[in-house]
Amino acid sequence: MFALVGPMDTWADTHLAVHMAQHVVIGDAAVAVMVLAVRGPLLVFMLPAPVLVRVAKARAFFSLLLRPRVAFSLWAANLATWHVPYLYDAALRHRGLHDVEHGCWVVAGLLVWTLLVDPGSHRRLTVGGRIALAAAMFACGQILADVLVFSFHPVYPAYPGRLDQQLAGVVMMGEQLLTLGVLAFALLRPRIRGARLVAA
Amino acid sequence: MSPGDFSFEPFYLVVAAALVVAYVRARPAGGWRAASFATGVFLLAAPLDSPMETIAAKRLLLVHLVQNALIADIAPLLILLGLTPAMRAWITRHGGARVRARFAIVAWLAAWYGTHLAGFYDWALRTGWGLNVEHGLLVVGGFLFWWPLVSGRLPAPLALAYLGAGFVASSFLGLAFIFSSHPFYAFYEHAPRLWGFSPARDQNLGGIAMNGEQTAVFLVAIGYYVSQLLKEEEHDARA
Repeated sequence: MFALVGPMDTWADTHLAVHMAQHVVIGDAAVAVMVLAVRGPLLVFMLPAPVLVRVAKARAFFSLLLRPRVAFSLWAANLATWHVPYLYDAALRHRGLHDVEHGCWVVAGLLVWTLLVDPGSHRRLTVGGRIALAAAMFACGQILADVLVFSFHPVYPAYPGRLDQQLAGVVMMGEQLLTLGVLAFALLRPRIRGARLVAA
Repeated sequence: MSPGDFSFEPFYLVVAAALVVAYVRARPAGGWRAASFATGVFLLAAPLDSPMETIAAKRLLLVHLVQNALIADIAPLLILLGLTPAMRAWITRHGGARVRARFAIVAWLAAWYGTHLAGFYDWALRTGWGLNVEHGLLVVGGFLFWWPLVSGRLPAPLALAYLGAGFVASSFLGLAFIFSSHPFYAFYEHAPRLWGFSPARDQNLGGIAMNGEQTAVFLVAIGYYVSQLLKEEEHDARA
């Protein structure tokens, strides 16, 4: 809500760094916190019974989407697709397409963060697998961030400022470091303690 | 002096020769370890004894930063990876065990940031011999940083935390070079230009090279330890 309704949305029209912040908030940080908030039994009671029945009917489809390779591929494809300059600029010109873009960020983010946080304890991924997924997401994000930070020419015609573009790359890098870094640390912490105890 | 002329830091030729002699005398089995060691020694000596040194010491910060990244990040890692288990055990017995990860990372960062401070950098470039000191600090820092990982003393979770901390902590220097619109070093501001780069553009490109190199090296290292973590889990699941 904060990212899409308010001054941030207005500034996003003129500043790529703010637009990038908007995307990483709705597609990454917000979904991460949302998924984290419904861990455990709360997940079952969150949806009304009629909705749960429909979800159960589409279980096979959701299971397919939540296969680690499928979820990661969709997330990475979404990241790459919406940063193609032609599409990025088209989304800026057409409100409807822009809404679709934001919807894609949220859905793709929900898929990967459901695997990373594992709110229903389905154990689709081991701890190592979750770290690997986080590392793969970070590596993909780094490629995009580096393109923006390292480029001396504007990638998106709607945002001609070079510094603005570089800041957008840093925003992406910083947000990923924060969210994925915290997750990786939280997952590794028990093992780090264990390794220290063994060493002692 | 033409940019194509050779310049030398003879001390590092001696160091490289000594490393090769010590390695050959230890009779390594050959294979990928020997190749890694040879490449590491080459990347330690070649950037400091070639036209790269001429350009780095007289013309372009970009080339100097690439040189630093090669000798501080890549060469020490490749040299350490080239050591046989017996060589690593010998180093561990002779002081290597005392290199704690938490101190190694601080020493590496101190070398990395300290040598790039404007006062020190300009002094090293002006005196010439100061470059030997600068490069020595960077090489030693690189060996210290990679040793806890290559020695095998850090289990995968700790290694990942170590690499993550190193990656984040070291990235600010490259970003500072990329984002600055004013040259940090007076020496390069007044140096004869090459390839049409302004001092600010030269510095920005140097930051890009440094940041790109570190991102690549750290992501590969993180990828390796993630794969180790997965192998450990697989092993535990079977047991």
